[in-house]
Amino acid sequence: MEGFTTTTTKASAQPLENADVLIASVETFIFDCDGVIWKGDKLIDGVPETLDMLRSKGKRLVFVTNNSTKSRKQYGKKFETLGLSVSEEEIFASSFAAAAYLKSINFPKDKKVYVIGEDGILKELELAGFQYLGGPKFGQQEDGEKKIELKPGFLMEHDKDVGAVVVGFDRYFNYYKVQYGTLCIRENPGCLFIATNRDAVTHLTDAQEWAGGGSMVGAICGSTQREPHVVGKPSTFMMDYLAVKFGILKSQICMVGDRLDTDILFGQNGGCKTLLVLSGVTTLSMLQSPNNSIQPDFYTNKISDFLASKAATV
Amino acid sequence: MESTTSNPTSTAAAELLSGVNAKVLLDSVDAFLFDCDGVIWKGDKLIDGIPETLEMLRSKGKKLVFVTNNSTKSRIQYANKFRTLGLSVSQDEIFSSSFAAAMYLKVNQFPPQKKVYVIGGEGIVQELQLAGFTALGGPEDGEKRAQWKSNCLFEHDKEVGAVVVGLDPDINYYKLHEHSEGSFLVKILVSLGASSMGTLCIRENPGCLFIATNRDSVGHMTDLQEWPGAGCMVGAICASTEREPVVVGKPSTFMMEFLLQKFNLSTSRMCMVGDRLDTDILFGQNAGCKTLLVLSGVTTKSILDDPSNKIQPDYYTNKVSDILGLLGE
Repeated sequence: MEGFTTTTTKASAQPLENADVLIASVETFIFDCDGVIWKGDKLIDGVPETLDMLRSKGKRLVFVTNNSTKSRKQYGKKFETLGLSVSEEEIFASSFAAAAYLKSINFPKDKKVYVIGEDGILKELELAGFQYLGGPKFGQQEDGEKKIELKPGFLMEHDKDVGAVVVGFDRYFNYYKVQYGTLCIRENPGCLFIATNRDAVTHLTDAQEWAGGGSMVGAICGSTQREPHVVGKPSTFMMDYLAVKFGILKSQICMVGDRLDTDILFGQNGGCKTLLVLSGVTTLSMLQSPNNSIQPDFYTNKISDFLASKAATV
Repeated sequence: MESTTSNPTSTAAAELLSGVNAKVLLDSVDAFLFDCDGVIWKGDKLIDGIPETLEMLRSKGKKLVFVTNNSTKSRIQYANKFRTLGLSVSQDEIFSSSFAAAMYLKVNQFPPQKKVYVIGGEGIVQELQLAGFTALGGPEDGEKRAQWKSNCLFEHDKEVGAVVVGLDPDINYYKLHEHSEGSFLVKILVSLGASSMGTLCIRENPGCLFIATNRDSVGHMTDLQEWPGAGCMVGAICASTEREPVVVGKPSTFMMEFLLQKFNLSTSRMCMVGDRLDTDILFGQNAGCKTLLVLSGVTTKSILDDPSNKIQPDYYTNKVSDILGLLGE
């Protein structure tokens, strides 16, 4: 067989020409946040009016983000600060997903969760009633006293009751935390290894990309030689969760995001329509590159293109 | 043969070293290649019986070479460590992955006007400097402070043409203190900077090389327990750059090229002695050497015997000094 390409290759993404048709064909819009709604702490142009318009047409809006640094409640505050009226129940961050996953597998309440990650994960675990240790300040050097001395006789202890290690984006990442997580995973029988997400890069500021949560997860994969269970996009865990929660059919959903290997893949894996916006990390040339095999149904510049009744020029 | 591995001899189970086969082994090799962590020492403690065993091998005319994936020291620094522990080993008997990284760049004619960014220890920086390259980063990066607002750029050096990643116990991201209205005070510590600096160089500098000294998951950095190895730092950078590195340390046989330049020997007349299956033993097998696994390091008998393990050394024994005992010396 020569030059035989798989018949499952999707047709190329279409520029969004008639937004009204798309809007009428779905009941729920799922939006990614970074690069779609905001960039860092700055709202992207036209977002408030677009969300209002969709709500006025009776559409359900849901926000699904891989960013685990905040809890849903903290995200609710961020939306509020930016002048958007979005409730906690409409927000699904990967921090929430980690807690929801542990709940769904009946993770025993007498076991502990060790967290390499930030406040958002800790808050969600607490809300779900789980015992945890770790988080941003864990393993930080205090008063010049070193936490680790790689010399004879030094032994790092770890809690044998840790039954799961959750790894997410952590700006306070260090060797102490890696060793603690590594010991739990390698030595506590049956210890779970859960990743909130594996994004390679993230937009901490609106100016450029920074190493993302994927790098913390990659570090732990490297030291444990184990693969994690991923709860964030592109895993469909959050999609399944909200489909059940809101009683919606996946064919009635359109996923809107700026990343092909998380947002769009998430939507496709879930059986939804998919719309790529070019207001975030993906450019048109990246979408059209021969190296790219992920084709959303549609693409457009930004979500406020929904407001234009004619085709937005890309 | 039902084996689908490329090396058919690797499916036979490892033989326990005995009085009989130890003699056969000794007669059939002219050089012993030793891994260090978990074989010669654990952290800064020598493993029992090492000095006497090495002396015996030398007295029988065997050449001794030390091949280590631990990139935190340069060859000179390793020679000093050996001396501190009472062993007489010269620099050119040592092949560290720090040395390998510098040699890789030399052999591939890395332009000396380009810079190398190092996520790792002093050893890599020293070897690069000895080879005539400009090294940035490493432990000397120290604390950098940058005050910037939300629309400022974290600068990376566009002259960096290669990023070398090795074991770095100072790996971290950076400290962010959020002040008001989205302005940030950023303290960039040693290797976050390593994380983001290294990531940016690889992603944004055209043709930037991504070199890993090694990918060991854990190692005996101290005598009492294992600690995350370079595989951890390399894993972090692979994830953020979505690229795979060139690996210069074991099990890659890159270092063997330099070994062969030093000795006029066939690799079949060499025995690789190590404690890790997926680095030491695989390295030995890939290069065509005999292989001896010692259980004094990261590998236990049950790991060796586990059905999921596909790497079988020729021989195994508890520790290096068993050779002495078995030969009745």
